[in-house]
Amino acid sequence: MSKLTLAIPSKGRLMEQTTEMFARGGLTVSKVGHARGYRGGIQGLPGVDVAYVSSSEIAAALKSGSVHMGITGEDLVRESMSDADTRLQFLGKLGFGYADVVVAVPAWWLDVATIGDLEAASLPFRRAHGRWPRVATKYINLTRRFFASKGFGDYRIVESLGATEGTCSSGTAELIVDITTTGETLRANGLKILDDGVILKSEANLLASNAAAWTPELERVRDRIARAMEKAP
Amino acid sequence: MAAEPTQQFALLEAQAQVLMTVFTKAGHEAVAPAIIQPANVFLDVIGESLRARTYVFTDPDGAELCLRPDLTVPACRLHIARNGDPATSAKYCYNGPAFRFQPQDADETHPREFRQAGIECFGDTQGERAEAETIALILKALEAAGLKNWTLQIGDLGLFRSVLNAVQMPERWQKRLSDAFWRPDAFRAELKRLTTAPGAAALPAELMAALTPGDVAQTANAIQAYLDAKGIEVIGTRTVEEMAEHLLDVAADLSATPLDAKSARLIDSYVRVKGTALGAGQTIGKLLAGSKGGTGAALDTYDRRLALLANAGIPLDRVRFSAEFGRNLEYYTGLVFEVQAPGLDADSPVAGGGRYDGLIRAAGAGVDVPAVGGAIHTERLLSVLSRGAA
Repeated sequence: MSKLTLAIPSKGRLMEQTTEMFARGGLTVSKVGHARGYRGGIQGLPGVDVAYVSSSEIAAALKSGSVHMGITGEDLVRESMSDADTRLQFLGKLGFGYADVVVAVPAWWLDVATIGDLEAASLPFRRAHGRWPRVATKYINLTRRFFASKGFGDYRIVESLGATEGTCSSGTAELIVDITTTGETLRANGLKILDDGVILKSEANLLASNAAAWTPELERVRDRIARAMEKAP
Repeated sequence: MAAEPTQQFALLEAQAQVLMTVFTKAGHEAVAPAIIQPANVFLDVIGESLRARTYVFTDPDGAELCLRPDLTVPACRLHIARNGDPATSAKYCYNGPAFRFQPQDADETHPREFRQAGIECFGDTQGERAEAETIALILKALEAAGLKNWTLQIGDLGLFRSVLNAVQMPERWQKRLSDAFWRPDAFRAELKRLTTAPGAAALPAELMAALTPGDVAQTANAIQAYLDAKGIEVIGTRTVEEMAEHLLDVAADLSATPLDAKSARLIDSYVRVKGTALGAGQTIGKLLAGSKGGTGAALDTYDRRLALLANAGIPLDRVRFSAEFGRNLEYYTGLVFEVQAPGLDADSPVAGGGRYDGLIRAAGAGVDVPAVGGAIHTERLLSVLSRGAA
């Protein structure tokens, strides 16, 4: 009998909250063998293999179908594919891992409160500096899609893989696209969120891959897991 | 994508020789700009939207490079590298590959790898005469290769600016409308804003009261004092002076009389002008006859251009004008043209070009240099000719 592979975040708060959520739904997830290993199972569901995978790689694994199901943030899913709704089944929002992907500019830009204002400020900026304003982000695709949907194209992306909030004060970018929960880190770094600058309100999701090999039996296991998560308090 | 058939290669090579012979005989020096180019020049000139159409990559040293999406910017860089003074006049021609990402599987008229044959004329001081000569030479090369039934589509961003000049409005509004011209939605929104409520900005009254009209330095000091009082730190590369300039514009708009409806209609009607080049000239004449600024320079420029095209041997009944044309080609500054051929849709011109006086500066020269040029999409030309639709 083939097994269903379920990918769970391999570390940090996301892993803990996922395990707690399963427990509240009546499913005990535990590691197999060494505590530092990356394989596990669910008690009472022998047809499930649990794979502990870094949350950013879970999206890629679901996209390719190398795992059947996974838990990860919607931000990471939408960043790694433009057509997530056709490639994946969204089986439920899990109520943790909240993060808003937002556009933030220096708080002292009193004349910029919207994407429209940003557009108006871009051309004078280019005249003064000889280049478009730079946007530091790790969400390159989300940023590009969001700005394209607003008809805004006068910017340059600079990839930032950490400490994105600091790029404005260090002078490597003029604005950023990053995740925030309370906005506190942004404020502490002299930034403000644009009024219409919320790209995505993200949280952890239970997902299934359309590219994975499904059998009627595996679909029953999938539905069992989805029901357990749904009724978890 | 299928490998290029041997026969296709031979035909393209033979066709390129015909095109290049026409160019070199007209005094254009054959050059071969680098295929791999620094990505930032393209991204800075055209904006982030270009990245979606360009093969951008990082080399082992971390430099961001790209496969050239066209040969115009590479030709500008070659010109700068070869000449101590970028304003030196030079005429180049080239034939070589360019690369553009195609979202679906590449078809015959939209291959992701294609060859451009083109000409550039840098540092010319003849203005519209050089533009007419460029168009005429591109058409001559197309005809030498066997194309007969072409139509020429032209647009003119200079003419748009002349129309704005014919309407009485503050210079900052003209600048803003010119900037927004590239984005039809933003343009309409800006025009509407100027005719209804030009100064509807929601900024603190305390700050606006502290501005000194006409004095950027004084205003910057006032803004700095306001920020200090609020405990807001100035971070990043944008300067307080830049914001002062912008806020002074905003303040001026607050007390400005909205643009009158008649002028707004004139601008809007101009943007919609489309048709044969001769007919469009008459339409523009009628539009401007009623304007405050009179017909003036705008129409003279248009008529002079048509006369130059006719002098260069181009039958005007095959020339079409559209005021909107060129809106999606951000680096052009004046004339824009495309050559359409039978059997190809409007999005697939067989050749195109125009004037781009700001491009050499953007490519690194630090000064504006007059530049006009055009290029032929050689795969499209061959496909039209081999289908016998020419």
